[in-house]
Formats: sequence, C-alpha cells, structure tokens
Amino acid sequence: MMWRIDPGGDEPLYAQLVTQVRLAVAHGELRPGERLPAARELAASLDLNMHTVLRAYQLLRDDGVVELRRGRGAMVAARQPADLTAVERAIADLVDAARRAHLSTETTTTLVKEAMHR
Amino acid sequence: MTSTPPTGTRPTDGAPEAWRGRARRAMTWASAAGAALALAAAAVAWSWSGELPAEAASHWSGSGVPDGFSTPSSLVLLCTALALGLVALFCAIGTLAGSAASTRRIAAAGSVWSGGFAGGLLLVTLAPQRGLDDASQVGLSAGAMALVLVAPLVPAVVAAMLVPGDPVLAAAAPVPSDAPRVAVRDGERVVWLRRATGGPGLAVGAVSILVTVALAVVTQTWGMLVVPVLLAGLFVAMFAFSVRVDGSGLTVRSVAGWPGTHVPAAEVLAASVVHVSPFREFGGWGWRVGSGGRVGVVLRQGEGLLVERSGGRSLVVTVDDAATAAALLNTAAERAR
Repeated sequence: MMWRIDPGGDEPLYAQLVTQVRLAVAHGELRPGERLPAARELAASLDLNMHTVLRAYQLLRDDGVVELRRGRGAMVAARQPADLTAVERAIADLVDAARRAHLSTETTTTLVKEAMHR
Repeated sequence: MTSTPPTGTRPTDGAPEAWRGRARRAMTWASAAGAALALAAAAVAWSWSGELPAEAASHWSGSGVPDGFSTPSSLVLLCTALALGLVALFCAIGTLAGSAASTRRIAAAGSVWSGGFAGGLLLVTLAPQRGLDDASQVGLSAGAMALVLVAPLVPAVVAAMLVPGDPVLAAAAPVPSDAPRVAVRDGERVVWLRRATGGPGLAVGAVSILVTVALAVVTQTWGMLVVPVLLAGLFVAMFAFSVRVDGSGLTVRSVAGWPGTHVPAAEVLAASVVHVSPFREFGGWGWRVGSGGRVGVVLRQGEGLLVERSGGRSLVVTVDDAATAAALLNTAAERAR
C-alpha cells in the first residue's frame, strides 16, 4: 500500500500512520492476515524515527486493528473491531435531541446508562 | 526546449544503443575466458592421449561401471564443442540482450561457468583412465562430478563482478503526459511498499529439490547432493521480493537480501501496468531476461509493473496494486527531471 507522511500537517506523524492503516483496512486495501512493513523499513522509507512507527503500530494493536508478534512484525488482525459508524450516527442524533430538550450532559448520560442497564 | 511525445508511443531516450559497446566488450573477454578454460582442459586431455585406452569410458548410468565408450579424441572434441556452443549461446544473450548490467553479468558468468564445467567434465572423465588398457571397469566419482559443477562457480562469480555496472544515465525526455500520476503535496513523503510473491515457484522448487535428493539417494552418489543444495539456495533467493517505490525511484530486492536492483527516479522514462505471462515472455519464473533485454522479476502470471528506463532498458515486476506503484514512480520521475 501507499504510505504518506506530511510533516507540515496538523496531525502528529504517528497519528497520520494510524489513520492510513485504519482507512486501508476499512477499504479492503489491507486484508486480514496481511503483514505490515517492518517498522524499520517503513521508518527508513518515510524518513521517520522508528519509534514513531512503533508507536503507531502499538496504538493499532490496542485498538484491535493489528496483531503484533515477536519476530513476525505487525499483521492485520483476523477479526476487525466492530463498525462504529451506526453508533456514532445515533449518538449525533441523540446529542441533537438532548440539546433541543435542554438536557444537561449529566442527565443525558444518566438516561443512556439507564437504557443500557435495561 | 522540451516537447511532449505523442501519446501511445513507446518512450525513447537519447542513448538507447549506448549499451551495445559495453555488452560487446564484456562478452568478448567473458567468451574468451570461457573458451580458454575449455581449450586448456582439451590441451591437458590431449597430452594424455598416449596413456588412454583406445576405447575410453564416456558414459555411466548409476550402476558404477560405464555403459558407453568412445575414442579419447572424440571425447575431447565433444566436450570442447559443448563448451564452445554454450559460450556462444551466452555470448549471443549478452551481446543481443545485455542492455542491463545484470544481464551482462549473468551472461558473462554463464559463459565462464560453461567453459569450466565442460572442461572439468572432460578431465574427471579421462583422468582415472590414464594408464589403463581396458576401461570397462573404470568408475566415475560422484565427488568429482560435484566438484565439476561447483568449482566453475568461483571464476563465474569473479567474471560477474568484473563486468562494470551501468553508468548513471538520466532520462532526457519528459514523462509522457498521459502516464498516470499521484498528487503529492510539497514536503509530503510518500512510499509504496509491497511484496512480490506467489506463482508456481515454490512448488517447482520443492519438486526439483526432492527429485534431485531422491536421485542422489537411490544411486548412492552422495556428492550429487550438491545439486539440491544449489537449487535450495536459488529458490530461497527467488521466491519472494520486496518492492518499494519512493522519491528515490524503484527498489526490488529478494527477501533473502540478494539479488536486487535499484532504478533511480531520474532514469525512469515511464512506468505503467502490464499483464505478464512469465513462461511465455520470460521462459520461466524468478529473475529472468526476456526479449529485447527486458529484465523480469516474474513470479506469477497477471498484473505487473513495467518500468521503461533510459539506455534502452526496461524492467518488469509481477506485483499487486501495480497501478499505484506506476503512478507514484511517474510522479517521482517527473520530480527528478
């Protein structure tokens, strides 16, 4: 896949890498089981510190996007984290409705918690 | 002044024939070296002519005793003809298709190895028959045969290293206007990384290694185990390549570290996507030379990245997502002008 880094961009460099991997997985460009480039190779190619790449890979592992295995590097995880777009869209609607009803953040989250416990 | 070439034409460059002189020089001395090895062996064998049986053993089929006989002089002629034929073949490949230094190196090494192999074959066949009247019981040592295969690799590698590399030859023509490109912002760093794998290479390798091991075991010619060892080395070097496109150009390297090549962005005329049939266009899989001297790193049939390079050279790599690689390489080439 193609990797881009814009040192003049607003996003930190490691976050730019994380975003690209997430997008590539979402678009099917990176398939489960596929191996990401070795951190050393990617860092050299993009003229980055290797720790920047490793930090991105660790964040992706924490989010369940990739698996890190000693000696085998980073692999796209077989089971991807759940798709959150539907939840995010519903939350946006909820926030709109709560604002229209002049509910405070605390009241709204209490309502959500009660609903989750039902 | 620059002008955009008409669309649809193959990009050309100022010095598309400059390699021919380099190829002729390299193949002249490499052919001479290969022929000299064979002729030296022939001269040594000829000097033994008084000591050899009239009918010398010339063929063994694994039972330990010979099953084919010929006169020593016809053996000398046969081995010399074999050597000269192979040398001529490599000379033709290097002279006609040696636009890339890697091809000239392969041809030079092949020429020297062939001369050494055929000459060595003659000597290990005849040496044990000196002083014999009857060759019907003479053996052929498997260790000597292994040596005949392996020893000429040394001068062959030396020959390959003596062939000079390609001089830096920046492309003069602009990248064709219809070639795909990638939008890259100023200051942005972009790299495309991919592995070239797949194809029947692993299966072919496994089968040929198993067969040669089985042959050596069945005939109990342990020295011949050198053949599967050499094959294993070859297949490890050829079964997967890492492919990288960045601002510096294209880098293709075996995951084993060797062989590999780098095409500087300044030498790229144009990059595109092609369909590759390794067997039809390159006669096999791995690091190959195709018609017109095109270098192929071809592991499977299908999509490949074609790079037209200055000096009449071109390179094909079978790799997925070649369209992105081609677009990025065109962009890098344009920036390097």
